[in-house]
Amino acid sequence: MHLLLNPQFVTFFVLLMLGLIVGGTVQRRHFASIARRKAGYADILITQLKSFPQWRHGEKPPRMVAAEVVIATDYLKSFLAKFRNVFGGEVHSYQTMLTRAREEALLRLLEQVREQGFNALCNVRYQTADVGGDTTRKKVAMAPILATGTAYYRVQDE
Amino acid sequence: MIVTNTETIAGYEIVEVKGIVQGNTVRAKHAGRDIAAGLKNLVGGELKGYTELLTESRREALQRMLSQAQQLDANAVVNVRFTTSAVTSGAAELYAYGTAVFVEPSSP
Repeated sequence: MHLLLNPQFVTFFVLLMLGLIVGGTVQRRHFASIARRKAGYADILITQLKSFPQWRHGEKPPRMVAAEVVIATDYLKSFLAKFRNVFGGEVHSYQTMLTRAREEALLRLLEQVREQGFNALCNVRYQTADVGGDTTRKKVAMAPILATGTAYYRVQDE
Repeated sequence: MIVTNTETIAGYEIVEVKGIVQGNTVRAKHAGRDIAAGLKNLVGGELKGYTELLTESRREALQRMLSQAQQLDANAVVNVRFTTSAVTSGAAELYAYGTAVFVEPSSP
């Protein structure tokens, strides 16, 4: 009873719940949206080769596309990650955060590939970008991803 | 200007290498964005302010790289790479570099 009256504990508890409910929902929706949009780009050939597989002569010149996305984790997950830090092992919360960011970045590349009338993407590269972060002392846990690739036109299988 | 992050360009032949071209920019977001990012960190999701920061930086760095390529009379830049570094909290450098070349369409 005494603990429930402690404002610090109440704030902490509310933030954990906020992370659990809102953060969880946001993540689930995001993964669902990624899966749905990805299905729409099934015809685009994605490789990380430096060459141009199935390329056809006489088509318009290839063009570089780039996309970036910064995803933050929620309060509950950063709390769990700190907990994990004590015992060691895989920090699952941050692993899903990075996956979300990479998948989203790839989708933004594919969006541009489609918009510009290409149907293949090669030399896909991901890199984590440093955006500096918070000006306060508390470091915000986030996954800034910069993805690049080269869009080109390929021969579709008949 | 043809820009790719591959070493070659399908359908084109590199006839002359002009040399390395580069462009960089250091950008910061106003404090409001940083506070918003801190709040967003409670519930998770995309930090749109930082995504915009990266997009603006990337465009600016690429633009500076391309104007260098133009001065060298190149008509393409190949093997473009990006690197980032956090100079201080709240500001980030984005550096774009590539090789400026002169290309001609290759025969089939």
